Amino acid sequence: MWGKLKHWIEIRIGLEELVNKHLRQFRTPKGANFWSTLGFVSLIAFIVQAVTGIMLLLYYVPHPEHAFQSVQTITNEIPYGWLFRSIHNIGGNIIVAVIIIHLVHVFLRISYKKPREITWVTGVLMFLLVLLACITGQLLPWHQTGFWQTTVTSTIPAFLPFIGEGISSYMRGGEFVTGITLSRFFSFHVVILPVFIVGLMLLHVLLIRRQGLSTSPAIEPDIDIAQQEKFNRYNHLEGQPCFPHFSLKRLYMVMVYFSVVFFVMTFFPNLFLPLEANIQADPLTTPESIRPAWYFLAPYQVIKIIPNDIMGISLIVIFSVFLIFWPFFDTKDTERNIRKRPLLLSLALIVLALWAILTIWGMYS
Amino acid sequence: MMKYIIIPAIVFIGIVSTGLSLASYRETFEKEFMLSPWSIAQGEVSACIQCHTSDSMEPRIHQHVQEWRGSWHAKNNVSCHDCHGGAPEDASMSMMHQRGFKGAPKDIEIPEFCGTCHIAIQDNYIKSGHGKTFIATGEGPSCVTCHGSHNIQQASMDIINEQLCSQCHTYDRAKEMKQALFLVENKLNTIAKNLKRLKLFGIGTDRQEKAFFRNHAEFRALFHSIDVDAVRAKSSDYTQRLEIIETEINESFKQLTYRRNYSAYLFLIFIGLSIVVFLLSKSYDQKNT
Repeated sequence: MWGKLKHWIEIRIGLEELVNKHLRQFRTPKGANFWSTLGFVSLIAFIVQAVTGIMLLLYYVPHPEHAFQSVQTITNEIPYGWLFRSIHNIGGNIIVAVIIIHLVHVFLRISYKKPREITWVTGVLMFLLVLLACITGQLLPWHQTGFWQTTVTSTIPAFLPFIGEGISSYMRGGEFVTGITLSRFFSFHVVILPVFIVGLMLLHVLLIRRQGLSTSPAIEPDIDIAQQEKFNRYNHLEGQPCFPHFSLKRLYMVMVYFSVVFFVMTFFPNLFLPLEANIQADPLTTPESIRPAWYFLAPYQVIKIIPNDIMGISLIVIFSVFLIFWPFFDTKDTERNIRKRPLLLSLALIVLALWAILTIWGMYS
Repeated sequence: MMKYIIIPAIVFIGIVSTGLSLASYRETFEKEFMLSPWSIAQGEVSACIQCHTSDSMEPRIHQHVQEWRGSWHAKNNVSCHDCHGGAPEDASMSMMHQRGFKGAPKDIEIPEFCGTCHIAIQDNYIKSGHGKTFIATGEGPSCVTCHGSHNIQQASMDIINEQLCSQCHTYDRAKEMKQALFLVENKLNTIAKNLKRLKLFGIGTDRQEKAFFRNHAEFRALFHSIDVDAVRAKSSDYTQRLEIIETEINESFKQLTYRRNYSAYLFLIFIGLSIVVFLLSKSYDQKNT
């Protein structure tokens, strides 16, 4: 039966050739480990968000008078609606964590260097768009936490000189967070941002498939990228075939991702949904403490501690620009082993430590 | 030649008409959204608070706003004008009697003042020993004696205490009342706590909350009659009604346990799958080497 089915598919789409060409013949470099699979885990996490999001979309009503109630209905009345909502909520936070770890890993392996500059740029842009998707998603359930987090987050761009007020006003669709903001955030969260993210993702994956996975500088240090003047695909003939070796590593990390999601759901169900997240948004009642989501605590704290607002926001913008275009700044030194580049390693560690300190500070201030 | 005139003309008319229709749509859209009750623009600006916290006011007046901000009223969005009347959105007319401004009540007017909202409590209070004494003599406990005026907190059994009650009479009678209230009050507190817990976990509690609020308010109104026998007689009624709510709450807790168990099973399944895939991956690695 299975053989017949396989044959039926084979003569129609040439599955064998497809698997051979794109999985068995596509080889991963020596030293490709579990960390190297985080890009794939991010992709799966994005698909999980899309699928659960579509399930929520079936019952969600994007109107201030109905949004909260519709989410309550999803959570309490639709069969297993609570499961989809929880996965979407927890997954939305974990995807950010996965992308951050992926980004740090790529940075520490200095894999962004020629010819992978565009891969890095598309990756960072995708990260920023995912953050935007998180911001816009927070408001949709129209609960106190989301409403006030949006109020805080949409104030941040207003500190930018000249264009800041315009950006804030455009985000909110006016001076305050209202139904217009909800409508605007809904369209961004559900259509506009996913379209751009998918577009960048396709480009990102295409570049990886064309160039081959980057090598580990500790294992294969002798590839001289600086001299490369024409397109060269790294076939990694000495490495392992993507299928089944690397695919199993990927599958393992995907299982770990799901385990983390369900671990949080079982033992810390309120980690990302505090009490205020179950109270309808009320513009007249300010919660006792308003702080943005954990991944925005560091920039928020920077703005809080720097007395000059313009300087605070400018620092964040400059940091983001540096992050996006980093491969074009780091061109002089061709060394790809970060252990042999103490300055770069120190810079990375300082930024990471600062980010962690500011996040913890923001959490308790 | 004609197409060079006709095509731009069609495009121009198209753009203008789309622009006009979009503009009128936008106007209706914004009007609909901005003027709705959930829009922040409606209630944020309060002339009462702005003026009473300004430097030109004496500290005593500032104190009123400070106390109100920490009160149960403030937590439930009951603002200055809800009790004192007036027009908080219009500074120049905010204290005009034509706009319903009542100002601060005289002592004798206090029960009626608070009774605007707390109708059942006022009814029972007026019929009670407390109310009759107060109305007849102008002395004795009114609402503010026990609850305060601006710093009003959520009422609890702690209000009935020796220090407060023995200002007018011996504590024995109050103690008897406190004992009569004990069972139902305890149930009310437990239900309130459980409802809050359920809410924290995202369980919809609207129906139970409404039933709880109704019983809570009725029982509190009954207490203001200061009739120990009436409270004792109706306590079992309230206990039964509250037990119905408790049963529903227990069902919700069961649902919560189900959710937790379900996600725990999924967690264990994925942990198991992770181990299997990890071992499989290792075995392929070894084969390769």
